[in-house]
Amino acid sequence: MKTVFEKSVKGRGGFAVSALEVERYDYESDRLREELDLPELSEPEVAAHYTALSKRTFGVDDGFYPLGSCTMKYNPKLHEEIAALPGFRDAHPLARADKVQGCLAVIDTLSAYLAGITGMDAVTLQPCAGAHGEFTALLMVKAYHLSRGDSGRTKVLIPDSAHGTNPASAAMAGFEVVTLKSDDDGRVNLADLRLKAGDDTAALMLTNPNTLGIFEKHVAEIADIVHEAGGLMYYDGANLNAVMGVVRPGDMGFDLVHLNLHKTFSAPHGGGGPGSGPVCCKAELAPFLPDPQVTRTEKGFRFGRSEWSCGRVSAFYGNFGVYVKALAYIVTLGGKGLRAAAQTAVLNANYLREKISYFYPVGEGRCMHEFVLSMRKLREETGVTAADVAKGLIDRGIHPPTMYFPLIVEDALMFEPTETADKAALDAAADALKEIIDLAYSDPEALHSAPRTTPVRRPDEAAAARNPVVKG
Amino acid sequence: MKQYTRTHEWVELRDGKAYVGITAHAAEELGEIVYVELPEIGAQAAAGEACCELESVKAVAEVNSPASGTVAEVNGELADAPEKAGEEGVWLFAVGDPVLADGLMSEAEYEAFLR
Amino acid sequence: MSDYLSVSERERSEMLAFLGISDVAELYSDLPRALRKKKFALSDGMSQQETYEALASLAAKNAVYKSVFRGAGSYNHYIPAAVKSLTSREEFLTAYTPYQPEISQGILQATFEFQTMICNLTGMDVATASHYSGATAAAEACVMCAEGKGKVLTFGNVNPDTLETVRTYLAARGMELEVVSAPNGYAEFRPGTGAKVMYVESPNYYGIVEDVASLAAAAKAEGMKVVVGGNPLALALFRSPGECGADVAVGDAQPFGMPMSFGGPYIGFMAAKRGYMRKLPGRIVGETSDADGRRAFVLTLQTREQHIRREKATSNICSNQAHCALTAAVYLSLMGPRGLRDTALKCASNAHYLAKELAHAGAKLFYEGEFFDEFVTITPGKAYAVAAALEKKNILGGLPLDEHRILWCCTEMNRKADMDEVVGTVEETL
Repeated sequence: MKTVFEKSVKGRGGFAVSALEVERYDYESDRLREELDLPELSEPEVAAHYTALSKRTFGVDDGFYPLGSCTMKYNPKLHEEIAALPGFRDAHPLARADKVQGCLAVIDTLSAYLAGITGMDAVTLQPCAGAHGEFTALLMVKAYHLSRGDSGRTKVLIPDSAHGTNPASAAMAGFEVVTLKSDDDGRVNLADLRLKAGDDTAALMLTNPNTLGIFEKHVAEIADIVHEAGGLMYYDGANLNAVMGVVRPGDMGFDLVHLNLHKTFSAPHGGGGPGSGPVCCKAELAPFLPDPQVTRTEKGFRFGRSEWSCGRVSAFYGNFGVYVKALAYIVTLGGKGLRAAAQTAVLNANYLREKISYFYPVGEGRCMHEFVLSMRKLREETGVTAADVAKGLIDRGIHPPTMYFPLIVEDALMFEPTETADKAALDAAADALKEIIDLAYSDPEALHSAPRTTPVRRPDEAAAARNPVVKG
Repeated sequence: MKQYTRTHEWVELRDGKAYVGITAHAAEELGEIVYVELPEIGAQAAAGEACCELESVKAVAEVNSPASGTVAEVNGELADAPEKAGEEGVWLFAVGDPVLADGLMSEAEYEAFLR
Repeated sequence: MSDYLSVSERERSEMLAFLGISDVAELYSDLPRALRKKKFALSDGMSQQETYEALASLAAKNAVYKSVFRGAGSYNHYIPAAVKSLTSREEFLTAYTPYQPEISQGILQATFEFQTMICNLTGMDVATASHYSGATAAAEACVMCAEGKGKVLTFGNVNPDTLETVRTYLAARGMELEVVSAPNGYAEFRPGTGAKVMYVESPNYYGIVEDVASLAAAAKAEGMKVVVGGNPLALALFRSPGECGADVAVGDAQPFGMPMSFGGPYIGFMAAKRGYMRKLPGRIVGETSDADGRRAFVLTLQTREQHIRREKATSNICSNQAHCALTAAVYLSLMGPRGLRDTALKCASNAHYLAKELAHAGAKLFYEGEFFDEFVTITPGKAYAVAAALEKKNILGGLPLDEHRILWCCTEMNRKADMDEVVGTVEETL
């Protein structure tokens, strides 16, 4: 499809700005640019262009979207209306605090809810995404240890099953990464943890349930080992959807948590953001939260600062327009509704897993809200890869699961149906997988060449990386 | 005559320089190579340590130098044709006044190692 | 209570029976008993109507001003209705990061178009798909250009949130930030600092258009890399950072179609010269072709990123502000070069009118130097009194920087009558 630049016609369109009411100001010409290459199109043409592009995009209302680790649940329409209320939409972030008490109440109320859900005491909403929350929490860990004169804690322990953001965030926060081995079932190897935890340990970053969708049942013991070594326990909230309202990270022994409001709390993902990645922490870590913090005073809500703060991590107060949607979600569901959502997510995942249990699942017994299949055997027997299976699902109207993650499973496909998927969608996905696996043995070429129903077929990614064309 | 490392590089001495490339096994593991980050001429290479990087679409592989010394030559042809880095016998860089690493394998030994 | 679940009781029973269990709680048997027994309060939910009413009552506690003269990083511009309408399409709003290009061509192409627009505005060769804010874009650009070590030089006239964010990101890696004060409002290069990178904004926090070319030349003479930030609306008029010798251009594109929304979501952008292509943090969309030779877009140069390179990645960024990039692309497509220039010129003309009239009323410009749509006035000891007097008239006045100085902003939204009312109020107050 042509780009908006290729559709541009010189001299066409351009938005009519209301006429000047004051004298036009002219700058000296040596400051001014000559060219301004932007598309020239009428509004109808722009509307047609972006409508066409939207039709080449698959959203959660377009079909089953079991993208593992991403919690692609339904995004309630109500929340868009709430975020667009003039009182929120037109609030200036630097208005006097007494003129934006509604916004500050949103921050305070949501913080209290999130603290309750995670079993923590204090919260910042400033981080704009999950990885940003990880970075923020690690800065707090650093500030905490330094405040105690403990400058030797330079290492962060991270299981080999973790998301890539964990080690990348640790490096950005100035820590050295120590990788922990997983057992065959994907859980942390306690012996390896004992060996590596020590007086240089700043924190352990743990996702629970882990990236294989399995609960770390030894979490209390893990917390004891880390705490005895003097380190802190950090909870990566990517998989909270399995356990919200059921158990709390604070009760598992964690000291800090980051959440993904765009996953767990139904804020839409927008094709890759904006998200919101709050950090919740125990009381002893509260002084190290980023500035500014909302505090309650006799005169209402105000902004406060802490001399121990880890600093500011972005402009203003993070993605307000995103987290107000998460607040609406929590208010609507209530704690009981959140628990029902978690239980249904786990039920859906186990149901789908059981239906396709012949299909090389990883691990024994039950899963939490997601599960992993390995396509290694299929590849060895038929030459059909995990990517081929994914593309085959696309042709059957299903968004593929996450591919080739976690790294500890060869040829992984990771499914997370979420609680908003209906039984018919789960049954259809199981049937589609059955059809694909049969096809792999009878006509593998049909899958190598999938998808065939899409606006484009498989793009040549090697050519894109070898000779990058990154602008039109 | 080529010698081999456990990290799947080969090295060959020619005209007093150690020419280094990756083995067919390494090339197959990595997949289609899309970018080569070569060392700079004059840089110090240390035996057994990373000296340059090869990238495929979804992986990065470090190439360890099988010899210590100074980088004397780089294969400039790869800048425009990175995919060639995975081809049989194509060298990436050459180390001058080389001191070869300990424990290099012969071709037969490397093939046995792969098995 | 609305729960958005799609399962009937009967279906739930069928699914449980299929799993051979009687209660969903059995699926949690892996969780330690002590943990499961821990009690905590669970609230009841509400109907959608009740939620709407509860949140609307909070929204109603915020002042809605009849006119806004405050900027300082958040700008009140007119947003054509088509922007909201097109970007609200469900496919754009709810999709995840485009990991499956065949069913994500729409968002990939829109991002590619955004990257192109940012490159054209900034005079650069490559732009990323987006960052959380202008503040984090500046911070990550400084880290990239310094290769993660050493010192960065900047000035006391950059946006304070950006300054604090840059400081946080640098300190995390043990890097140093030297801030040269700007008593005259504009940046004055300090030679011999040994810094590896200079970060300068134009327009700067005080609205002044810097002589970026001279600053960049001075920095380059000391071997420094140059990162230039600033409100991108000004780029509709002024010479681009690329033309002035910058290595990297950053900023926040909130003025391109995003409401103020109490500070976010906005969109950080980063654009650079070609040599930085494989060092940039964050996602980049590239063009290629599919198996049939048709044009296709993909996430490219991914080996820079956290999911492949982990602790050696150029950044940890994963989710960015993709939907805001789409918003900016739609906005800029609607405006076109003429619409954007006219908007920028109207903002600047309004600002110069207000500055002149305020000076007559006794609030003189504090800094000399050409400005864009923001400027600082001096009213000794009266800054807060002026702001309060305007509040009473339901006008959000300029931002008091201290007891004496006010940072004003005008946009195309400000009518002459509103500006005259501001001037009258200031005159009464002084």
